[in-house]
Amino acid sequence: MIQPLKESIKITADGDIAWVDFDLPNEKINKLSGAVLMRLKEVVAEIKQSKFKTVIFSSMKNKIFIAGADIQEIKLLKTQADIKAAVEIGQSIMNEVEDLPQVTIASVNGACMGGGCEFILACDYRIASEDPSTKIGLPETQLGIIPGFGGCVRMPRVVGLPTALDIILAGKAYAATKAFKVGLVDRVVHPNLLRQETKKWAQTLTAKRRKVYQPKDFMSKVLDSGLGRGIVFKKARQGVIKATRGQYPAPLKALEVIANTYKMQDRNKALEIEKQGFVLCAVTDISKNLIHVYELTERVKKQTGVPGIKGKDVTHLGLLGAGTMGGGIAFVSADKGIEVRVKDLSIQALGNSLKHARELFSKNLKRKSINTYQLKQKMDLITTTTDYSGFGRLDLVVEAIVEDMEIKKKVIAETAGQMRPDAIIATNTSSLSVSEMSKGHPRPEFFAGMHFFNPVNRMPLVEVIRGDKTSDQTTATVFELAKKMGKMPVVVKDGPGFLVNRLLLPYMAEAAFLLQEGMSGDRIDDLYVKFGMPMGPVALMDEVGLDVCVKVLKIFQKAYSDRMEIPPLFDALAKSERKGKKNGKGFYKYSADGRRLEYDPTILNELGLPMPTNRYSDAECVERGVYGMINEAARALFDDRIVESAHEVDLAMIMGTGFPPFRGGLLRYADSVGMKPIVTALEKYSRERKAKRLIPAPALIKTTTFYK
Amino acid sequence: MKSPRDVVLVDGIRTPFAKAGTNLKKIHPADLGKAALQALIARTNLDVNVVDEVIIGNTGNPVDAVNISRVIALSSGIPQKTSAYTVHRNCASALESISNGFEKIKSGTMDVVVAGGTESMSQFPTLLPQSMQDIFEKLFAAKGPGQALPLVWQLLKSELRQIKALLTGNMKDPYFPVIAVMKGLTDPFVGINMGQTAEILAKEWNLSRDVQDRFALRSHQRSSAATKSGRFKEEITPIFLPPKYDSVLEADTGPRENQTMEALTKLKPFFDKQTGTITAGNSCPITDGAAMVLIMSREKADALGYKPIAKICSYGFAGCEPERMGLGPVYATPVALKRAGLTMKEIGLVELNEAFSAQVLACQKAFDSKTFAEEKLGLSDKIGELREEILNPNGGAIALGHPVGATGTRIVLTLARQMKKTQTQFGLATLCIGGGQGGAMILELEN
Repeated sequence: MIQPLKESIKITADGDIAWVDFDLPNEKINKLSGAVLMRLKEVVAEIKQSKFKTVIFSSMKNKIFIAGADIQEIKLLKTQADIKAAVEIGQSIMNEVEDLPQVTIASVNGACMGGGCEFILACDYRIASEDPSTKIGLPETQLGIIPGFGGCVRMPRVVGLPTALDIILAGKAYAATKAFKVGLVDRVVHPNLLRQETKKWAQTLTAKRRKVYQPKDFMSKVLDSGLGRGIVFKKARQGVIKATRGQYPAPLKALEVIANTYKMQDRNKALEIEKQGFVLCAVTDISKNLIHVYELTERVKKQTGVPGIKGKDVTHLGLLGAGTMGGGIAFVSADKGIEVRVKDLSIQALGNSLKHARELFSKNLKRKSINTYQLKQKMDLITTTTDYSGFGRLDLVVEAIVEDMEIKKKVIAETAGQMRPDAIIATNTSSLSVSEMSKGHPRPEFFAGMHFFNPVNRMPLVEVIRGDKTSDQTTATVFELAKKMGKMPVVVKDGPGFLVNRLLLPYMAEAAFLLQEGMSGDRIDDLYVKFGMPMGPVALMDEVGLDVCVKVLKIFQKAYSDRMEIPPLFDALAKSERKGKKNGKGFYKYSADGRRLEYDPTILNELGLPMPTNRYSDAECVERGVYGMINEAARALFDDRIVESAHEVDLAMIMGTGFPPFRGGLLRYADSVGMKPIVTALEKYSRERKAKRLIPAPALIKTTTFYK
Repeated sequence: MKSPRDVVLVDGIRTPFAKAGTNLKKIHPADLGKAALQALIARTNLDVNVVDEVIIGNTGNPVDAVNISRVIALSSGIPQKTSAYTVHRNCASALESISNGFEKIKSGTMDVVVAGGTESMSQFPTLLPQSMQDIFEKLFAAKGPGQALPLVWQLLKSELRQIKALLTGNMKDPYFPVIAVMKGLTDPFVGINMGQTAEILAKEWNLSRDVQDRFALRSHQRSSAATKSGRFKEEITPIFLPPKYDSVLEADTGPRENQTMEALTKLKPFFDKQTGTITAGNSCPITDGAAMVLIMSREKADALGYKPIAKICSYGFAGCEPERMGLGPVYATPVALKRAGLTMKEIGLVELNEAFSAQVLACQKAFDSKTFAEEKLGLSDKIGELREEILNPNGGAIALGHPVGATGTRIVLTLARQMKKTQTQFGLATLCIGGGQGGAMILELEN
């Protein structure tokens, strides 16, 4: 039995009112760990026996009410019985809160997530501060579980089905004003007034209440009716399937639980259904994998890129080379309040980058995440130039010009001459050596790589590349800048393809070999999408640009020789007009506005490919690509030490290529399959398909697991 | 003699000027100002934290940016801590902004000032006539439909009367809408239009239609040459046209390279149809644009490592008859010259704003007139000749246009750059001011 943590919750008498304050010792946040829950149980029992008329639950932490359950504890729950026991404890304590004879008020300032949100739903009344830190929501499905402390039952009761589904299925959190609008909280006040207003309000509240959502307008009434509900559930299910391709069971389970418990009079029965659903989700590997991914991202938040070194704050950014990439980088920077100066020789290119950034801001405007004033303020941060004017004010310049070593070196030298001696230049090259390029810089310690992924506004990964001479301070500054832009940086050593492209290019090439050997492109893509990739490797080649794939793979072949075999069809491809999505001609057909349409059968003839026989098994198609990546990852990680650990590989692959989060990352997936079967399969394919590139690397053979 | 408290002009820049209702018509005057100020900051690699104040001239006073200087400052990346205010001296608003900065720096109160001006004459509003405003005022205060409905009926009737006034073109009709730009160009004291003040000068100083048109032609030819040779490029920042950013304006649109005397001769007099000589061709067009300069104390400029273009020696403003406002430069110049301790002979370059050909030519004559100096200025001798070869070598407002609140800074900027180009020691920028005033500023080249 877990011992209650006495100091975590305090009761203070204030006349008829009991203030119950959460204040977890030695922590910045409050969370509902087992020990805190046990303390809450004690507190509730004590209050129940007391003469208090009203109870106010509040937090002594700055900007945190209750951040949720303890994820470390969830991770340790292995068996169904463990999970069941944990959920039962939580549910019963929430019931005890709900059943207190006193009037209960939750007074919320700061994050109120997961278990914290479920807790306030068990209170009679809710008041929140309008501080920007106040966020109320149920993010459980993002971790592969469902709300298990009564959230699936109480949230729909309080706010109605459409809102509850919006919160639970997408794992959303609402700001105070939105929470007030949907009835999740009853009042919103300025943070400075929260305590006194809560108290005043407490003195007027005499009756307990169990809030039940009352639809107001006609449409809401229809949707809340028996027939309407059916439609709501059906639509929600379709939405979830579309968003997750059915590969994430938690939102579907949550939906099922809500459908089976909505309007149910018997609380215990409803909670029993919720518990069953929770157990089924929490026991899955998918949930463990999603928690792993969550931890990978949390890890980055705490890192600085170089242990013990804090990067400098970048407030003025320069960009060499406009275009789509430039527009995207300008957008993510200006969005975070960084001034951006874009330089290009072409006025038209500059105009395009402004237009691209503006379109992205306009989308946010439509989504109402910004208003017109904010749009203008952000756009005002972006200025353009055809000369080096203003470069003396810049802290860091990202170079994104043509991929040509000599031109880049020349431009870098020229640019460095226009900047402060302590300013940094970072190249966005995807295929050239950062160390070699740094020779163009008069002070190479101020030079690094900062590799973004396209489209910049959507892809979270940034590879921060350390050249031979890059200083710790420079690395940390680039890392910090990436975080400031809202990106996930991973520090990698210099080497052809760095990390992600080094794994991704041979993976795409493997798909080209499969095409060559008689598999059809759309079939290959279907299999990988089923595996969980956001798009198949053939479509990805189109996306990257077929000319780019050919060019980069040739660079890799020089560096890695046999391991990077070039599929014969690449020669034909290099000669063809097909460049992929960018010119509307690739393995697929494209609409005028760039949407991918059906597979283009005429490409077979054009590249001299055989008629597809699709003779290989599904497993072979996927394993050759995925195991091939694992094989190369072993070399990158253990032989070349491109990154420090498996964590970085997995974070990079998820954030940079969309490797399915539910698999926890490439190397976590490898660990789950086991090294033996992977090595055996690779040996078999390399032998049977005469593919030297698939021979298992010594580093892989030596490995038992990537995660220790 | 150099002094640490000298006020120096570090650099300046402007947007291209475009005739109102054309390329820049959709750009808010604050955004025109922003474009110029952002370019100035970039070009001078300015640490914006050192700026003590931003002073901007503007006459249109857009209702959504009443202190437009603050809007320009914030949207250009000037820190929130930095104060910003707007000045209004009609056509000389953007000379007023520089002279304000000059005084603050000279006195030692400040060291770094951004001064300039902006105007979108395209965006001058069309307003409701007073007769209709009264109805709206009552309507907004009306309680219940009982009070509101009769007012709505009145509004409907007055709108019909307005349509009638518009159809008959009767601008004196009390229901005719108030066109702000027209009001702004009408002297509020004597009630005549600026064009009519130029007609008075043309007649009093015997300026024929032909000499006026020839001066207009000169303006177009010189401005075109300055555009073509790249001379103006060094003072202009290109401006993108949002929201599509698919076109960029890089040069002034006013100068017509192919302007001919024939075409100018064909135009009908606009203000006095019978005996007049002032046409659209020999007047400056209403225009959109902005200009900014960075001025500092000499010691601050030295400390920051700047090499200024010019020193500001002095400025002067003086009043005259509102109906002869075009002679303003003749009144203001002697004031500035005296303060600088200079005579007209020492001035090697003059930028005299071209509101009207007649007005410039009248000024030229008055500068050289002993009688005028004695009678009107109380001076014992004429100011001195305003030689044709030193006057507006790059043309002027007749070709470039006159964005009222920006021109003052534009002529100072154009003057400074031309002084540098031709290594001229002293230069004069001067302009006439609607309402009957003149403004002048004298610069000395920095070496």
